Amino acid sequence: MERYAAAVRRVTRAVLGDPDDADDAAQDAFLSAFVKLRQYDPHRPFGPWLMRIAANAATDRRRRRAVRRAESLDGLRAGGPQPDAEAQRRALGLRLREALAQLPERRRAAVVLFDVEGYSHADIGRILGIPEGTVRSEVFHARRALRVLLADWKEDAG
Amino acid sequence: MTPEPTPFDHRPDPVLGGALSRALAADDEAAFVARVMAALDKATVAHWDVLASWARAGIAAAVVAAIVGGLLLARPTETPASLDDVLAVAGEPTAPLLVAAPSPPDPSVVLISAEER
Repeated sequence: MERYAAAVRRVTRAVLGDPDDADDAAQDAFLSAFVKLRQYDPHRPFGPWLMRIAANAATDRRRRRAVRRAESLDGLRAGGPQPDAEAQRRALGLRLREALAQLPERRRAAVVLFDVEGYSHADIGRILGIPEGTVRSEVFHARRALRVLLADWKEDAG
Repeated sequence: MTPEPTPFDHRPDPVLGGALSRALAADDEAAFVARVMAALDKATVAHWDVLASWARAGIAAAVVAAIVGGLLLARPTETPASLDDVLAVAGEPTAPLLVAAPSPPDPSVVLISAEER
């Protein structure tokens, strides 16, 4: 479980935004995986199987519970230039999370699974239950939105 | 990081991926693992509780079935009277003896009696 905990938590955070909800969903995913372990085909890779459960757990939790609002960025934005690199990284993280939150749920999950977790388009298609071509499109649109944000951030920082 | 991405990009973007990974990273991984393990233990115990309740109901049903089966098997069964039984009571006449016999006669007794007449 230690091996996959960080990845599962990142994916549930990408889908849900709120860290507490995300950890609840990650826990749901591990418990569900434990119950369904007999259904797992050992000839197939474990990661996509678990990630599919995690993505479903996050989606289920989003449906069941009204998601609490993500941490507000107003305070940091109003604070002007950040004094050190660590504070800048933290602020960039907050802006990225906010930008992710504005993307459709499936797009968020797709870009995180591709660019962070390193899964192939085909694997992500199986994880999210969508065609591979749709995954490519989702990743493309998500990247374009997030790269604009990153570029703006670099300009602001420079 | 390419300035203008295309849908044909098939490799992860390390810059974007790194930034996203840091943005989504959760701390207290050990605490999270411990929390899940505790929940897993609790879920496993609850699972056994359910199985135990099923087992109790199953045992009760098996006991009832055994009692009913035992009662059915213990019922006295009527065995047909053989020709020797009938003849042992008295020699003649056969028909009254057959009628007076405490249990139904074996068909062969009736046939033999009819042939004799």
